[in-house]
Amino acid sequence: MKHEKLKGKDLINVGIFTAIYFVVVFAVAMLGYIPILMVLMCILVPILGGIPFMLFLTKVKRFGMIWIMSILMGLLMLLTGMGYYALLVGLITGGLAELCYKSGGYRSGAKAILTSGIFSIWVWGNYIPFFINIEKYFSTRQEFGQAYIDAMTALMPMWMCPILLASAFAGGLIGGVAGKALLKKHFVKAGIA
Amino acid sequence: MVELKEVSFRYENGENGTLSNLSLSIPRGQCLLLCGESGCGKTTLTRLLNGLIPHYYEGTLTGQVLVDGVEVSQTELFETARHVGSVFQNPRSQFFCVDTTSELAFGCENLGLPEAVVRTRIAQAAKEFRMEALLGRSIFNLSGGEKQKVACAGISAMEPELFVLDEPTSNLDVEAIEDLRQTLRRWKAKGKTIVIAEHRLSWLRGICDRAVYFREGQVELDISMETLLHFPPERLARLGLRGLTPTQVALPACQPVCDTIELRDFFLSYGSQMALDIPALSLPAGAAIAVIGHNGAGKSTFSRCMCGLERRFKGTVRINGTEIKRRQLLKICYMVMQDVNHQLFCETVEEEVRLGIEAEAPGAASSVLEELDLSGLAARHPMSLSGGQKQRTAIASALLAGKKILFFDEPTSGLDFRHMEQVAQRLVSLRGRETTLIITHDPELIARCCTHILHLEHGKVLDLYPLTEENIGKFRAFFYSEANKNSLQEEPAH
Amino acid sequence: MQGRILQADVERRGLVLDPRTKLLLLITMATFVLGGAGSRQMSFLPYALSLLPVILLLSARAYKAALIAAAVYILAESAFRLAGPLLSGPVYFILLGTRGILTRSLPSLMMGAYVVSTTTVSEFTAAMLRLHLSEIIIIPLSVMFRFFPTVADEFSSINAAMKMRGIALGGRHAGKIVEYRMVPLMTCSVKIGEELSAAALTRGLGGNVRRTNVCEIGFHVQDTIFAALCLLPYGALALSAAGLW
Repeated sequence: MKHEKLKGKDLINVGIFTAIYFVVVFAVAMLGYIPILMVLMCILVPILGGIPFMLFLTKVKRFGMIWIMSILMGLLMLLTGMGYYALLVGLITGGLAELCYKSGGYRSGAKAILTSGIFSIWVWGNYIPFFINIEKYFSTRQEFGQAYIDAMTALMPMWMCPILLASAFAGGLIGGVAGKALLKKHFVKAGIA
Repeated sequence: MVELKEVSFRYENGENGTLSNLSLSIPRGQCLLLCGESGCGKTTLTRLLNGLIPHYYEGTLTGQVLVDGVEVSQTELFETARHVGSVFQNPRSQFFCVDTTSELAFGCENLGLPEAVVRTRIAQAAKEFRMEALLGRSIFNLSGGEKQKVACAGISAMEPELFVLDEPTSNLDVEAIEDLRQTLRRWKAKGKTIVIAEHRLSWLRGICDRAVYFREGQVELDISMETLLHFPPERLARLGLRGLTPTQVALPACQPVCDTIELRDFFLSYGSQMALDIPALSLPAGAAIAVIGHNGAGKSTFSRCMCGLERRFKGTVRINGTEIKRRQLLKICYMVMQDVNHQLFCETVEEEVRLGIEAEAPGAASSVLEELDLSGLAARHPMSLSGGQKQRTAIASALLAGKKILFFDEPTSGLDFRHMEQVAQRLVSLRGRETTLIITHDPELIARCCTHILHLEHGKVLDLYPLTEENIGKFRAFFYSEANKNSLQEEPAH
Repeated sequence: MQGRILQADVERRGLVLDPRTKLLLLITMATFVLGGAGSRQMSFLPYALSLLPVILLLSARAYKAALIAAAVYILAESAFRLAGPLLSGPVYFILLGTRGILTRSLPSLMMGAYVVSTTTVSEFTAAMLRLHLSEIIIIPLSVMFRFFPTVADEFSSINAAMKMRGIALGGRHAGKIVEYRMVPLMTCSVKIGEELSAAALTRGLGGNVRRTNVCEIGFHVQDTIFAALCLLPYGALALSAAGLW
């Protein structure tokens, strides 16, 4: 069963859950579209997104669904002007998440939470443009003086980069746990999980 | 065309709609009506024909279903799609594309037809259905009837031999049903085979040739449509079928109304368009008021304003001399939505009805639960209940929160006769106690439970009248003029 | 809500560009404005590129969006240039951070807004087909775009229901606000999704034949111009990498 090709039903499910996931992400992002709060998005988005994601995992039975969802989120980021960085990250983390859930036989609850953590790393991709090209970026802005460069480096030091990655992962784990709790509390009884 | 041999089916998750040992044969070109109460298995049969069972809905299936000599259960869905076209109950959810032209093309594109052929087929279907004006529109701006028309045209463009319709009229108003009737005639004229599961019968007069009545998964009656049409009304009611002829209105005992609810400045515009334009209106307090009008008449805008949900709304409501502004309207009005799933939040029914109560009088919750026949369900998860139980839970929560005005948005769409009557009884029991406003297209429901009619058109009040002997003409004129006209025209032919 | 994402208004299309050109525009913005690529001599580039979304939004008659974005951009930039040197400490940091993020991400986001508001789903799908993307991406993608408005509708109905029940931020049930919103949202969306699947499958989706697509897309003069504009910075980047500029 695991090696079966994806069917129409599976592809439609991916589309539906990506839509729900994106709307949740978008609603969270709207709450915090203040530049200073942007850093917080890295953890809030995975936490709240974890809830629909865990419900999605209950529908995943064949290889590829998680990966496709990750690519779709990346494409959406590209289309809405967030750049292609999340797409690049998502290509890798989506695949890893898929393998992780597969290793649990598309059933394991603990693996599902871990999958949610790995999957959520795509969010981190959105922060990459603020870290890459940093030297180059400043070299083009010499006219603002050394104070500017110092301040900019203080605001976005390189060590923030791995920390954001870790918090996206941690957020995904928390979201996974929360999602699992809600599954048990509501969705199973409602007959949709 | 269709051959069912000793077919039995049970859904995996134990849903209603089991079929047991069914054998049925449908000759080419026949138009067959499947009827029966909900859960009788008629929907299950339609799913067997289009292959959704066993390919989408899982369960245990025995026996053979042959369409055009091909066994459906052994054929992939996309193969079956070449021969069987399906129209579903909810026009809102059967679209795959977001614009009408792509939607018409969708089925043909899936069949992999060359682009030129697809274009010709779209043009043909548009012409045949007289819907050129609907091409290139956004699906989300169409009315329910227009959506259903696009759905039918899209199926038609695929040129299947068998059409399967599952309660296609449950969300449609009178005019849209008439449109659908024309569609069926067209298919019939082309010699297509049609199977239609439906509980409203009146519009199928002169369309169907044969009627099969199901009870608990078995065929109870297999008769000609002509025979069914001549059943006395009491017998139809016993079968749980909606009447063939428009209902005789049984007038409610009309209590004199002393109090009124005064509405002032009910204005709201979307852009330059005035969606609601009611300077002043008095509604009888404690009455059950049916809100009627065509699509876009402003019914839902009216209810949203009155419930305090429109931010830009500046009007007021006066009850017992107290003036109530938008924010307080949220506290005294409540809308029971068409899809009640939107308004159930908690883990148990008990929690659900207690949510949002400020201070509770001892025993209030349990007495309301008792009254609405929910006591036994207090510990259940609201989402696990049946539609009617969910609706009662929503009503209970509104009553406990001390709401004075209840809105019901299309409470009976998609319900069969028995369930419609249950809703009507519930509404009757609220009469005199709460003011209820019922937005509906269902004359049978109005006839059973409403005391007044509020007729809106183009955002204005066209009429407000008690449903008494002298006003019955107006009521019938709104609902039945169209239908009567057509049945009169067709009568001589049959 | 972003209910209308990729639900282009047919009458307000503006300059008609092929979806592939639009993708190129987005990628260029992401590289040079958002990502800040480029050598010293190219420091004018982000400013120049930031004009593109404004022009395109104006052509699509999205005047309000274009003007607001331009105003915010100019305000952030000029506040930084004029007031920046006079400030120090946390205020300076906040100004700096705000300006940095705004000037980098706003133009790109505006380009995104232009693309999603002027491309129909069928055009986009057609472009994806021409780019030879697999069906296993295209099918979920089109379902997703079809489903956004539905989820957004559900979301607003649930909000209305919550208001009528007195559940709001700052109310008694603030702690459960996420749960109360998510549970019905997902239950309803999943149920509608099931109906949608059934309808799509009975119309032959997921077959083993290659789907055709009747939507017409293609390159025109304006595509050539914008594509050339996009390719210029890459050319410059290559030249400067090679040490020729």
